[in-house]
Amino acid sequence: MLTVALPKGALLKDSIRLFQAVGLDFSVLLDSDNRLLQITDPTQTAQGLLVRAQDVPVYVEYGQAQLGVVGYDVLREKKPQVAHLVDLGFGHCRMSVAVPSHSPYHSALEFPPHSRVASKFVHCARDYFGQLDLPVEIIPLYGSVELGPITGMSEAIVDLVSTGRTLRDNGLVELECLFESTARLIAHPLSYRLSRDHLTHWLAQLRTVRLDTPVAI
Amino acid sequence: MIYQAPSGARDLLPLDVARKRWIEQRLQQVFHGWGYHRMITPTLEHMKTLTAGGAVQPETVIQVWDADEGLLGLRPELTASIARAAVTRLAAGVMPQRLYYNANVFRRQTSVVGSSQHEFFQAGVELLGGEGLRADAEVLLLLADCLTAVGLPHWHLVLGEAGLTRSLLSFFPADLRQSLRQAIAQMDWLAVAQLPLEPGLRERALSFFDLRGTPAMVLQQVSDWGLDPAQQDALHNLKSLVELLEAHPSITLDLSLLQTFDYYTGIVFEVVSAPDGGQRVLGQGGRYDQLLSLYHPQGEALPGIGFSLNIEDLQQVLLPLGKLPQQTAQSEWLVAAVADPTETDAAIAAAFHHAQILRAATPGAQRVEVELCQRSPADTRRYAQERRIHNIAWVHADGSVQTEGVTSAATC
Repeated sequence: MLTVALPKGALLKDSIRLFQAVGLDFSVLLDSDNRLLQITDPTQTAQGLLVRAQDVPVYVEYGQAQLGVVGYDVLREKKPQVAHLVDLGFGHCRMSVAVPSHSPYHSALEFPPHSRVASKFVHCARDYFGQLDLPVEIIPLYGSVELGPITGMSEAIVDLVSTGRTLRDNGLVELECLFESTARLIAHPLSYRLSRDHLTHWLAQLRTVRLDTPVAI
Repeated sequence: MIYQAPSGARDLLPLDVARKRWIEQRLQQVFHGWGYHRMITPTLEHMKTLTAGGAVQPETVIQVWDADEGLLGLRPELTASIARAAVTRLAAGVMPQRLYYNANVFRRQTSVVGSSQHEFFQAGVELLGGEGLRADAEVLLLLADCLTAVGLPHWHLVLGEAGLTRSLLSFFPADLRQSLRQAIAQMDWLAVAQLPLEPGLRERALSFFDLRGTPAMVLQQVSDWGLDPAQQDALHNLKSLVELLEAHPSITLDLSLLQTFDYYTGIVFEVVSAPDGGQRVLGQGGRYDQLLSLYHPQGEALPGIGFSLNIEDLQQVLLPLGKLPQQTAQSEWLVAAVADPTETDAAIAAAFHHAQILRAATPGAQRVEVELCQRSPADTRRYAQERRIHNIAWVHADGSVQTEGVTSAATC
C-alpha cells in the first residue's frame, strides 16, 4: 500500500489538503482527539504516517514511506538520499542569520573569527560560514535559539524565519538569507524507479493539484 | 570490564553461519556450473588501487596506515582487486577469464542516517575479456540462475545502459550537461526543471529523468530521440539482450540510471527483492570496459563485466520464506564412557576410540560427540534429548559398546 510520511506542525494542514485534492483523505490526523500515528485513508488505498518534520526524510530514505512532505530546510540540513520531485509552494520561509538589533555587525562577513553562532540547523550554518571562509563555533540547540544572543551565549543565530515576528519580539534583526524554503514532495528512490504502488500515477495527479491550487500559507 | 565488538562489527553465531553457508554453497555450485574459478585477493589494498576506478570515495573506506606501505584500505568491493591482479597475473592467459569470489568487504558509513554496519559479505563474478551481447547475456543469465538456486521466487531486475545514457546527454547544451547529469543521478527533478533550457529541451530533459518502464515502452520512447548510429547500435544490443532475457518476467529498463563518475561503460543492473521482501537491493553489477586499462602497466584495455550479491540481504529475504536452516546441524551419536571408579581412564580412551570408529564409517557425513561432563546416565539421556542427538553409545573400559536410541523430548 502507498505510504505517505506527513510532517507534524506547520506543514500538516496544507499537506493534508494536497492529498485530499487527489482523493486521499488523511484529515483524521488533524482531529485534536486523534492519537493514532498511522492511519489508512477511507478508500483503503494509502497509509499516512504522522511523524516529526525532521523524521520525514528518514522514513522515506528507508523506504517505509514511498512519499513524504518536508521543508526544503530539512533536506538541506540532513541531505537524505531521496528523490526531490515537486516544489509544493506552501510553507514558505527562509533560513537566515540574525543578530541582536544593537549588534555592531551589518553583515555576516563582519563577524570576527571564531564567533559563536547558535542554531538548530548545524549543517546549514556550517556550510554557509564555510563558504564565506569564516571560522565560527556552531552551538547546536534544539529550540528557542533566539535565547543564544539574548543571554550572550552566542553572537548570532541561524534559524528559519517565516513572518519575522519571533525575531522582532526578541530584539533580533535578520542580516542575511542563506536560502528560501518551501515544502517539497520527496520519494524513496527505488520505489520511484520501480513505480511501486502506482507511484507514477499518484505523482502525476499531485503535480496537477499543485498548479491549480492558489498558494496559501 | 565488558568487551564488545566495535559498533558496526557483528559476530556470526553457529546458526547465522549455517544460514550464510547454505546460501554460499548454492551460489558456488552455480558459479562452478558456469565454469567460473574462485579467486582470493588480499583484504588490505593500497588506497590508490581501491580508488583508481573513480567509483569509490576515500572517505567511505576504512583506512589503515602502514609505516612501510603507506595508506592502505580495507577493500569495499572486489572488482578493483581482481582487476589489479588479473591484468598483471592473468592477462597473458587465454581469454575470457571467468572468476568468482566469496569474501567480506568493508565500508565506512558516512551518511547521517543509515546502517552503521561496516563489514559485509559478498559473492560475485567477474568475466574478463568477454565482450558484447553474449558476455552481457551470460552474466545476467548466470545472475538469474543464482537467484533460482537459492530459491528466491520473485525478484526484479532494474537494467540500464551507462554508455548509452551518458551519450544521451549530448542532446543538451555542453555547458549544462554536467548539471543535468548531477541532477538526474541524484534524482532531483526540481533541479532538472530549473535548468535554463528552451521549452523543447526542457521537456526532453524531464522525460530523460523518467526514461524507465517496461523494456518495450522505453526502447520505443528513446528511439524517437533521433539517435546517431553508435547510439542506435547500443539500443539494438539492449533490445537483443532483453529478448534473450525473455524468460525472466520482471524487468524495468531504466535509461535514466546515471552515476556522477564514469566507472560503468555498458549495461548496469540491480536486483531488487519483491515489495513484501522489504525492497532490498540484493545485488548489483555492470560492464566496465575501461577499468582494467587503469591497472594495466601499458594501459591496455580489456573488457570486463561482473556482479556481486549481498549475502546478508539475501539472507534477510530468504529467512521468512523458510528455506534457510532453522537450526544448526545435530550430532548423530553421543558417545559416553560408562563410569566405573577403578577404570575411568580406560573407559574414556575406549569412548574416544569408538567415536573415531563411528566417524570413520561415514567420513564427513556423521557428527559424533563425546560426553565430557561426567553426567549420570539419566542426565546423559536428557542432554541427548535437548541436543536432538538420535543415538547414545555407552562404552565400557573393556571396549564393549551398548547402543540405545533416544526418544524425542516431547514423548518423555
